[in-house]
Amino acid sequence: VLARRRRGRRTPPLSLLVVAGSGGHTTEILRLLSCLSESYSPRHYVFADSDKMSEAKIHSFEQKRAETFPSSQFTLDRIPRSREVRQSWTSSVITTLYSILYSLPLTYKLKPDLILCNGPGTCVPVCVSALLLGLLGIKRAIIVYVESICRVETLSLSGKILYYFSDYFIVQWPDLKEKYPKSIYLGRIV
Amino acid sequence: FRFKDSLAEDLRRADLVISHAGAGSCLETLEKGKPLIVVINEKLMNNHQLELAKQLHRDGHVLCSNCSTLVETLQSMDLSTLKPFPPGQPEKFALFLDKVVGFQ
Repeated sequence: VLARRRRGRRTPPLSLLVVAGSGGHTTEILRLLSCLSESYSPRHYVFADSDKMSEAKIHSFEQKRAETFPSSQFTLDRIPRSREVRQSWTSSVITTLYSILYSLPLTYKLKPDLILCNGPGTCVPVCVSALLLGLLGIKRAIIVYVESICRVETLSLSGKILYYFSDYFIVQWPDLKEKYPKSIYLGRIV
Repeated sequence: FRFKDSLAEDLRRADLVISHAGAGSCLETLEKGKPLIVVINEKLMNNHQLELAKQLHRDGHVLCSNCSTLVETLQSMDLSTLKPFPPGQPEKFALFLDKVVGFQ
């Protein structure tokens, strides 16, 4: 019910909110962005405030991009990390709620046309806040989730949640396509 | 060395790579076309690292061993059985996205 499809043409540019997670997630998502045309601009990167490496990778990516597309625009924003690896359930719920509250003003400010994420815990509060904005009639963003290439047989926790709430849910291995029939399989895309 | 920014140069010069099953390490090595032995320690590993390593092994792209069988693997390995690893295709994602948002 929440996964509505919007048909019809959009005209460029489309602003993009990219949720960059720690380590491998950021590398993967930058690869996903590598072939996107200049119509996906500006790119707003959002990542957890405890993540140091992602910022450097993003700058490097955008610098390189600016060589081909000089009018490239991007921004960087940090939000509190919603969940540490192996954090307990109850405390995860509390920190995630806190992150949702924190993400809401950010998504409201950015009002992206499209949100792209690939699995870090950070993406759940961001997507939930975007869904709330949509429900309130303020801004309806298209949510695109690409499960990490590490996920061959099972989905990540973020994936299990966003499978029901994203507009497009992409997996990179055929086993997952079978288990999650509403997902989209394009092969390996990173 | 502790934390280098990039292992690209070391990878380029290597003839064989022995690594843990982290996705970044495996994929970076395979993309450079280097033979890879993935060492699996099931007690320490996250579930998702194991999934990818197993799949890569099933597809014939890497050799696997655990800490105790590594020496034996090195002695008996036949690297010619390893299959080349085709690169991922982010352009497919770009095409898909253009289509669904309505850019043509």
